Amino acid sequence: MEPKNILLEMKDYIVEMGAETINWCMQCGLCTNLCPWRLVPGQTGEEFNIRYMQRLGQMGIEGFEDENMLFACSTCGMCQNNCPRGVKIIDNVRAMRAGIVGGGMAPSGLRPILGSCHANGNPWSGPRENRTKWQEGLDIPRFGPDTEYFLFVCCHSCYDPRGMKIARSIASLLQKGGVSFGVIGTEESCCGESMRKVGDEELFQKLAGANIELFNGKGVKKIITTSPHCLWSFKNDYAQLGAQWEVVHYTEVLAGLVAEGRIVPAKKSARKVSFHDPCYLGRHSDIYDAPRELLSSIPGMELRELARSRESSLCCAGGGGRIWAEVPMGERFGELRVLDAEASGAQVLATSCPYCVNMLSDACASLGKQDSLEIMELSELLADSL
Amino acid sequence: MEKKIGVYICSGCGIGGSLDVEALSAVAGEHKAAVCRTDPFLCGGEGVGRIKADIETEGIDRIVIAACSPRVMADVFDFGPRMVLERVNFREQLAWCQPAGEEDTRMMAEDALRMGLVKVGDSEPLEPFIAEDISKKILVVGGGLTGMTAALEAARAGYETVLVEKGEKLGGYLKDVYRLPPSGPPYENLDDFDLEAMRAAISNEPGVKVYTGAMVSSVSGAPCMFDVEVSQNGATCGERVGAIILATGSVPYDASRLTKLSYGTSPDIVTALELEVMFKEGAVKKPSNGQPVGSAAFVLCAGSRDPEHLAYCSSACCVESLKQARYFKEANPQTPVYIFYKDMRSTGNYELLYKQLQKDGVIFVRGNVTGIDDDGSGGLVVTCDDVLTRSPVISESVDLVVLATGMVPTSALGEPFKVAAPQQGAEPAPIASDAILVSNLLNLKYRQGPELPGLEYGFPDSHFICFPYESRRTGIYPAGTVRAPMDYQQAGTDAMGAALKAIQCVEMVSVGQAVHPRAGDRSYPEFFMQRCTQCKRCTEECPFGAINEDEKANPLPNPTRCRRCGVCMGACPERIISFKNFSVGMIGNMIKNINVPDEYDEKPRILVLACENDAYPALDMAGISGLSFNPWVRIIPVRCLGSVNLVWIADALSKGIDGILLLGCKHGNDYQCHFIKGSELANTRMTKIQETLDRLALESDRVKMEQVAITDFNLVPKMLDEFAEKINSLGPNPYKGF
Repeated sequence: MEPKNILLEMKDYIVEMGAETINWCMQCGLCTNLCPWRLVPGQTGEEFNIRYMQRLGQMGIEGFEDENMLFACSTCGMCQNNCPRGVKIIDNVRAMRAGIVGGGMAPSGLRPILGSCHANGNPWSGPRENRTKWQEGLDIPRFGPDTEYFLFVCCHSCYDPRGMKIARSIASLLQKGGVSFGVIGTEESCCGESMRKVGDEELFQKLAGANIELFNGKGVKKIITTSPHCLWSFKNDYAQLGAQWEVVHYTEVLAGLVAEGRIVPAKKSARKVSFHDPCYLGRHSDIYDAPRELLSSIPGMELRELARSRESSLCCAGGGGRIWAEVPMGERFGELRVLDAEASGAQVLATSCPYCVNMLSDACASLGKQDSLEIMELSELLADSL
Repeated sequence: MEKKIGVYICSGCGIGGSLDVEALSAVAGEHKAAVCRTDPFLCGGEGVGRIKADIETEGIDRIVIAACSPRVMADVFDFGPRMVLERVNFREQLAWCQPAGEEDTRMMAEDALRMGLVKVGDSEPLEPFIAEDISKKILVVGGGLTGMTAALEAARAGYETVLVEKGEKLGGYLKDVYRLPPSGPPYENLDDFDLEAMRAAISNEPGVKVYTGAMVSSVSGAPCMFDVEVSQNGATCGERVGAIILATGSVPYDASRLTKLSYGTSPDIVTALELEVMFKEGAVKKPSNGQPVGSAAFVLCAGSRDPEHLAYCSSACCVESLKQARYFKEANPQTPVYIFYKDMRSTGNYELLYKQLQKDGVIFVRGNVTGIDDDGSGGLVVTCDDVLTRSPVISESVDLVVLATGMVPTSALGEPFKVAAPQQGAEPAPIASDAILVSNLLNLKYRQGPELPGLEYGFPDSHFICFPYESRRTGIYPAGTVRAPMDYQQAGTDAMGAALKAIQCVEMVSVGQAVHPRAGDRSYPEFFMQRCTQCKRCTEECPFGAINEDEKANPLPNPTRCRRCGVCMGACPERIISFKNFSVGMIGNMIKNINVPDEYDEKPRILVLACENDAYPALDMAGISGLSFNPWVRIIPVRCLGSVNLVWIADALSKGIDGILLLGCKHGNDYQCHFIKGSELANTRMTKIQETLDRLALESDRVKMEQVAITDFNLVPKMLDEFAEKINSLGPNPYKGF
């Protein structure tokens, strides 16, 4: 075999793009073993090897740019949280993608998504003015100088019909609890979390810049997010850019309201429910208890923990831009999640992330289990019980 | 004076429930014991008090204690150095492993008690051997890091020390070393080492006498009585010392043999030591043209873990290369540095140094280096089969390639002392792994050879599990890289360990006690010279070279070199070597006193000679663990299987005993024998027993040797049963009843 050339210039470029810890990797391979791709059959599962990909990156050796490999990671963080060397694996993936996407070589499937973000400020090809469509029939306050919280609704919940229900239930719960909050509206742009993860650094900078200017201009100090992805991005990506907001996920706010008795779930619901920890809420943001406290507050509800839960939760496969990927049936992580729920005896699989709801609903449908298992957003369950 | 034997049988710990201890008193009567008592709690104050009272009032001078294993309660059943004491194991090897109240159990107990009584009757009080003109000085050979540390540590502990260094100045390998790997948190930054301060500490230490530019030209004598000649500038000085620390270190493997790594083809391919010197002298330049070094590649395991060169890991090179890579990164973080390695063995806290170098951006490539080539522009490229991408990779051009060569102990340099002349036309025999090489380090005036016997790869042999510092020459302790490959920190620790061993040796030997593994033993072998036939077997076979020879080939024992294993006693065909409490006749008598029922009783008898170090404890452990074993066995502990004299086999067989099983330690290069060669010698001797068996017209299967580790206790019952079955299938010993 012809030897492959080590290219230090390429390696240095990747490091510069954000793979600052790529050299820390000692190639133990724990990452590859923990990767959810090991749990499913199919070509990607056989080809995608995160250790190998980082190895190529470490030496600047060509080969990592193969689409199947480079864009397979859903940034679930299972590897990163367990890395014995503390390697920021997701940053390395992001930087390697950025090297390719930055050079104008984004995979064809992602191009319309990125284009929509450029044009409309959201990845769902929806016009800006439709951003507030979910509010129809509700009296959602506008964010003003006297408002405590800015409620940032994920683009998915602004444009996706299923997602809109989530935005509505969250907003109405906050209203019932007497929280001072408001939305800004059509000027809001996508947080850009997924755009950055797929490697479009330029787009992310554009979206984040616009949002920071907008939010700061409106006097935002505290933000409630509906999605854990927005939460994480505001707390981490945006903080790097100088943003200084107090950012919380809606489950944390609601858990506080329940504890204080400001909302009281009174309607009995004798159902068995499992909670799927979203990666960006659990592993990435360390929020595990608030959603469980909310579920336990519903009278009669029986919480059945999934075998893989909390730090060991299995990804729905929607992060890292994978929500836009075409994955053959039988190779979807979400299907395993539905089977997990079935094994725990749940009638409802609840979660608290719009991406997870999307992926799990698809998986439930592809397995034909809609009759035995209902996928619900936590806020919906809670709203029903009031 | 008439021997007055007291027999004390304990009925506690379940013994009373298993045996009728009162009835056993009859056995004591047969052997004319002056006193026989039973006690429900013999190790208690009252029980021991009664024994002491009997010593006072009855004049008891020999005691048999039939109670727990001799491995426990030694401090309780201690009746002074003059008392002849024998412990009969009624607890672990009887009550706890045999069915209670059975006839077989009773017979086993009677035999055990009989054997104890015979042994105590044949033993004499111990008279320790006290050397003359005792010296407690410690000689340290080699003035590198290990030697200097050992000398300082011994001197600070109050022992005069003589330090002999062949170079003109102290320092050894450190003289060429620029900086050291980190020795403390955060283990990321390199350490400075002040060699001058260490030299000053030695010259300010009144307890250390230093010879530089000097060699040890001869060592004669024995522990506490070594006479050492130090030659310095053509003159010779004499020193009398008690113990010796060998700290002569190692040398780097000869890189000129590493042709596959292209050493010698380009001046820019250097060894780790050559690079270290460049840094030490502040002249890091490309040797080919004197230009600065802008990039470097390290090749680890250069000739190490390679059967063609050094088969072993030198343990320090990984960290040494990390250290040198750090030199480059500290000088300029942008310098490209590659490390090609097989496994990164940066153990313990050095992991943090490895991590730091990863953070520094060093490119680590794991796999076999397949080529180091000129790239045509004056640089070098390294090709390697990268394990982690499963493909060959090639580096960018580098200015310098550094080969991390391994360590060769100074004890491995030199020709074998004894070379068997090859038979005509035959290939010369390979050098035995335990050969003594004439390496000119100690120049011992020992009959078996002038240096320490080696093990594989030329490192001095030691019991690698239990006694790493011990060599096969009592009172001589190798330390540092001559003992095993190690880094600076380990060498310092090793030096302290060896200093303590040397101190322990002079203290014990000076009061007539053995050092390890029979630490504290005051017995020693005595030779009845009138019957010696000068056969040389004892002088040849002693694993510790304890016995010299005069010009007529008479053995000249050196009791302070002796480890008291009894290998000489096992070897002697004339049975002239005896300890006061362990002799050929004594054990023979014990065997002859085993009651052997006739063949119609269908009670075969099996003699088990069990090594005291592992096999006997394993039998105890079987009892402690509640396992039961074959009731036909009669166990006699021996100091080492090497002490087993073949006459005992003949004694047992002619007595009518049906089978003989020897239980001892593992032998071979990875031996576990506490006396190194004892188990192996026993094995060799047993292969020669055939002749004896043929003469007696007996099956060779009746005698067997098994290797048992202390952890094998759960296997021992099965081993005994299988042997018993085999013996059963052979039928009774035809000599029964004669």
